[in-house]
Amino acid sequence: MEEGTDRPDAATESENGSDPVARRKVEVDRDFERLYKDHLRDVYSYSYYRIGNHHDAEDLTEQTFLQAYRHFERAQRESNGRPLRPWLIRIAHNLAANYHRDKARRPTAALDNIEPPQHPHGTERVVEGRERMRQVMAGLEHLSDDRREALIMRFSLGMSNREIARALGRTDGATKVLIHRSIKQLEEELEAAGVERE
Amino acid sequence: MSEPPSRSLDLEALLADALRPIEPPERVSGRVETTLSKLTEAAASELTWWADELSETELQALRDPRNWVRPIAAAAVGGVAGTALVVMEVRRRRRHEGLRAIAGDLRSRL
Repeated sequence: MEEGTDRPDAATESENGSDPVARRKVEVDRDFERLYKDHLRDVYSYSYYRIGNHHDAEDLTEQTFLQAYRHFERAQRESNGRPLRPWLIRIAHNLAANYHRDKARRPTAALDNIEPPQHPHGTERVVEGRERMRQVMAGLEHLSDDRREALIMRFSLGMSNREIARALGRTDGATKVLIHRSIKQLEEELEAAGVERE
Repeated sequence: MSEPPSRSLDLEALLADALRPIEPPERVSGRVETTLSKLTEAAASELTWWADELSETELQALRDPRNWVRPIAAAAVGGVAGTALVVMEVRRRRRHEGLRAIAGDLRSRL
């Protein structure tokens, strides 16, 4: 910057490429925008299944991205090129935990109220399918928080074991066991509730 | 994940169906984007403010240790004044307590 000259605004300068700090800021913002676009649905789905209503899931999604934005540069530096989705979901996970702590209620109570998604099938199958899904949701309610979360990450977000491990701060092996046990317990719950396999 | 046992395959399909990803409502992306752009604008204007407020000569002046004397002296004077106030208050209290003791002593003698 030359002495005595007016300082152009950061955006213009960065577009000219003359200020490395502003240029870096633009790059970071661009990367964050990509992360946001790629994972808005993941964060929202996770929030919705953890909270159980759209209103609070919206708040949680917003807070997650705000917090992510604040720490994004650091996360980028420390990720060593690894995907940032687990980090993002971990933020949502922590915020959801705070939410439940604040509300002092069990997250599972909300899951029971979740309306199963609409099915593009025939009426009879829809009713049958919805009932079965309701039973699955009720079964999830009986799982511990970590087991339920692992299943949400696995089946709603399609996260790999490694990603879930990073999001939950566990080892890959412990996560594998966690998911296996979660499925087993849910299966037992559903069998006890008389849900038949297709 | 190592492939789960085949007996849980149905359950996996059920889970994938029940926990299907939820498309966020349009207003969510609007909300998040508005908040984020406000945040970045605020950060940018903060930077601009600093840049506008402090000219290069001012920044150089701040870097020069000779200019640190005044602030240090001001802090020292402030510190001394503060200490003096504390000392005066302590003395005042002691004096007060001393008068009270003398009065008590006189009362007991009478």
